[in-house]
Amino acid sequence: MNRKFLTLAAGALMLGMSSMSAQAAGKNICVSWKTFQEERWKTDEAAIKAVVEAAGNKYVSADAQGSAAKQLTDIEGLITQGCNVILVVAFDSDAILPAFQAAADAGVKMISYDVLVEHPDALYVTFDNVGVGRLMAKTMLEKGKSEGDFAFIKGDKGDPNATFLFQGIMEVLKPNMDAGKIKNVCETFTDGWKPDAAQKNMEQCLTSVNNKVDAVISQNDGMAGGVVAALEAQGLAGTVPVTGQDGDKAALNRVALGTQLVSVWKDARVLGKAAAEFANLIADGKAATELPGVGKFSGGAKGVEVNAVLIPPNPITRDNLSDVIDGGWISKEEACAGVAAGSVAACN
Amino acid sequence: MNAKKASSAKVHENRGTPLVEMKDISIAFGGIKAVDHASIDLYPGEVVGLLGHNGAGKSTLIKILSGAYKRDHGEIFIEGKPVAINNPRDAKAQGIETIYQTLALADNVDAAANLYLGRELRTKFGTLDDVAMEAECRKVMGRLNPNFRRFKEPVKALSGGQRQSVAIARAIHFNARILIMDEPTAALGPQETAQVGELIKQLKAEGIGIFLISHDLHDVFDLADRLTVMKNGRVVGTAHTSDVDHDEVLGMIIAGKCPPNAIPGPGALRSAA
Amino acid sequence: MTAVDNTQNPARSDEGAIARFLRATEIDARMLGMVAALLIIWVGFDIYSGFLRDGEGLFGGSFLTPRNLWILLVQTSSIAVMTTGMVLIIVMRHIDLSVGSILGFTSVCIATMQVFWLGPMLGVGHPSIWIVTLILGLLLGGAIGAFHGTLIAYLGIPSFIVTLGGLIVWRGAAWAVIRGETVAPMDKNFKLIGGGISGITPGSIGATASWILGAVICAAIIYAIYNNRVQRKRFNFPQRPMWAEYFLAITGCILALGVTWLVNSYYWPKGVVDRYVQATGIEVPPEGINIAFGYSVPVLIAMGVGLGMSFLATRTRFGRYVYATGGNPEAAELAGVNTKKLTVMIFALMGVLAAISASISSARLDSATNALGQFDELYVIAAAVIGGTSLAGGLGTIYGAMLGALVMQSLQSGMTLLNFESATKDIVVGCVLVFAVFVDQVYRRRVK
Repeated sequence: MNRKFLTLAAGALMLGMSSMSAQAAGKNICVSWKTFQEERWKTDEAAIKAVVEAAGNKYVSADAQGSAAKQLTDIEGLITQGCNVILVVAFDSDAILPAFQAAADAGVKMISYDVLVEHPDALYVTFDNVGVGRLMAKTMLEKGKSEGDFAFIKGDKGDPNATFLFQGIMEVLKPNMDAGKIKNVCETFTDGWKPDAAQKNMEQCLTSVNNKVDAVISQNDGMAGGVVAALEAQGLAGTVPVTGQDGDKAALNRVALGTQLVSVWKDARVLGKAAAEFANLIADGKAATELPGVGKFSGGAKGVEVNAVLIPPNPITRDNLSDVIDGGWISKEEACAGVAAGSVAACN
Repeated sequence: MNAKKASSAKVHENRGTPLVEMKDISIAFGGIKAVDHASIDLYPGEVVGLLGHNGAGKSTLIKILSGAYKRDHGEIFIEGKPVAINNPRDAKAQGIETIYQTLALADNVDAAANLYLGRELRTKFGTLDDVAMEAECRKVMGRLNPNFRRFKEPVKALSGGQRQSVAIARAIHFNARILIMDEPTAALGPQETAQVGELIKQLKAEGIGIFLISHDLHDVFDLADRLTVMKNGRVVGTAHTSDVDHDEVLGMIIAGKCPPNAIPGPGALRSAA
Repeated sequence: MTAVDNTQNPARSDEGAIARFLRATEIDARMLGMVAALLIIWVGFDIYSGFLRDGEGLFGGSFLTPRNLWILLVQTSSIAVMTTGMVLIIVMRHIDLSVGSILGFTSVCIATMQVFWLGPMLGVGHPSIWIVTLILGLLLGGAIGAFHGTLIAYLGIPSFIVTLGGLIVWRGAAWAVIRGETVAPMDKNFKLIGGGISGITPGSIGATASWILGAVICAAIIYAIYNNRVQRKRFNFPQRPMWAEYFLAITGCILALGVTWLVNSYYWPKGVVDRYVQATGIEVPPEGINIAFGYSVPVLIAMGVGLGMSFLATRTRFGRYVYATGGNPEAAELAGVNTKKLTVMIFALMGVLAAISASISSARLDSATNALGQFDELYVIAAAVIGGTSLAGGLGTIYGAMLGALVMQSLQSGMTLLNFESATKDIVVGCVLVFAVFVDQVYRRRVK
């Protein structure tokens, strides 16, 4: 798999993208949402709409309201309305395939957004999920600890993501582990990703090695909260770096306080912006394979190879905490609650 | 009708106000009249046997008196005063105690706890006074069943007779004026049955009125002063036990035939009246 | 039944020493069995962990250390608190599947009040915040429980269904209150309920207070035994033999003082001591400073709840009615017990206990999430059942259930300590649950 290449390329793309301006205007960029019941899609929509309209194109949307059948008719409607490109957040990635075929037959370009639809003509735009694990480990090595006794607090054993994340983490840590610099002292799954379960697991870990833990890789922010509580009870919070992901407000506050090293943040607006920019380019006639950062992806259930752009998430540490504050994801007061004046740049 | 009332009045003339009078009681369960305009009464120091087949309505009638069921129609008088009995607590407040056919004991607690269930003795702090309750329990059980020793065990572990003693102890311990005994000897051997008989005589002597529900004609003839027979929810008739014989009573139970010496009720066969 | 009273219950000559001992001391054999099982589990884990890594435990491992046992008690406290209520619910022939969700919902409400309402309104860390939110939380839990109880008692909906609905509803409500976010941090005073350290203030009472408490418990045990004897004498009841009284008093005191010694042997970790030294500016003697934790607040809460609930179950009318109703609901009703009101009260009580556990859990975690307490209902019910509560109703003890909770948590903590795979842990805990109930039934049948 060439994910690594994709991620790097996409990273480069992010930097260069904003300088690229749309060539032509007046195209229809359409989005078929699976549901607006969930808060987060509003954020994506705002980002997409802004980019589409900035390029002089028209934004058209349809809400499937959580129904696979409605989404099929939605897309058929969008095709007849003369959409040039349709972004689809699929409710059911299998049931949606006929609509993708119909669009392909009608010459309309499709982008599967966030949810993979395994149709060979569609472009897949999403966050690099395996990359999250790599980013956690990478940030730990660069800004936390690069050697010592590591504890691994994994997510629920029934969730494949917990395993994917762990693969990504191990990929990065392996050289140091093989060299004997990093020792795996505790490794445990956590029922239901529950913070309180993570707390108990961390307490047992600390007891078993008599507090000799130098770093903790926690697979998300909720569990990191439990880990930090366990560390605090031993007076270790702040001295042992802890990872996490999701950009939880409480976790970002911990990052500011210094009790958590990093929260890997998947900013929906970045994803929306990137997808909208691709849509503009495709509407102008660019082929999917000519897009910056594009690669092949075949990691779906059926193994169909599609063109894909994997957007790297943003590891939020003390150094770039201003990203989340300036981006309006969290207020400065929330992020900086209880932070000593002058200790974190973003809080000043 | 008038004649009936007159004769009834004549019989009880010199006995004053009845302890209990249930007048014109009806209750229906899902359209079926379990008790249909039944009237019975009971005088102090008297035992009234209540007879009838299974489903004749005698247990239901008596459960209305003990507060387990709420009547649809009719009135209850205690010592001549109308009373409202809507639940078991109301009945107990009137001095009505019941020994149920199913014994109605809480199987998992001990004898003292059963004895005082619903009216526990408490210390001045409001907590259960188990020691005092056990002491009282030992006293009352000593009277009823001198061989009883198993005060600390749940009543589930006791024999049928021992359980019956607990149930009786509970009924008589709280100065009952009216005692309802629903098949009190059903679970007992001959010796224990005799004991219950003795007990009933003793209670009678203390002026307690007793309703005795039974299948067993011998029991009723031995212990009861009067008997009332029910059939299909209605009263067939009421008679002094000395005025009727076994066959006549069987006739009342089986055929609803009211003999000449009995006062017929609404359930009596017209031809026999 | 005692040996002294020979006329009543003559000592059988074929009786073994153990049987005679149990009869004389009136110790519940089931409880003794459970304590033995617990000790075997503890020793087993200590020896096993010693093979993996040398530790300071009694048998060279890391399980039987003051630190691990101290944490074990804290970890058990939340489930132990709830299981005391679950016993009474199961005794009443009901079940409450919603306790975990009530815990989750009340904890996010408490956290929301602290972080978003009272914190900004009164100023973060205001001394009234913890108590106001705690009381409101308990009222909320009680109200939810009373609502469930009302549906069960007065509308006649089975408790399984009502609380299954509650399991789903309150988990959803918890999500709705905070939209899936984590609410943190908790109020700094409230945090002490969880037993953690807030700055340099520990959520435990320290060595001196712990010794005093241990001594008080010891005195209370002796007084209870003495008082019992006096009472029995007054009414001329059979009494325990003197040696059995001494045995019980001495064992009780050893236990109370032993646990006190244990919690006083766990010292503040270095990081916290450093912080303390820095904050107070005290001088550090060359041999360093050892500050003992003592009894932690959540463990004290659990002990208090256990004591209070045992009192309620055995010494009050309320408890008597609960057991009588569980034994024979019809009989209780006929004896004049208002079983409907009792049902409402018992579920309301369960709700309050779930709210206490919510306070402990969220204070310990220093945050609240909508997932807090998920699956707790299973552990709570399992603890009650392992502790000898019969699902047929009428049978069960508070202390048994709390011991059951300790057994469950010991297994889980021990296996985590040994780095067992998560799947293995689940399999073992599930098997132990079934096995414990099997042993219990065999025991009951033989006693019969």
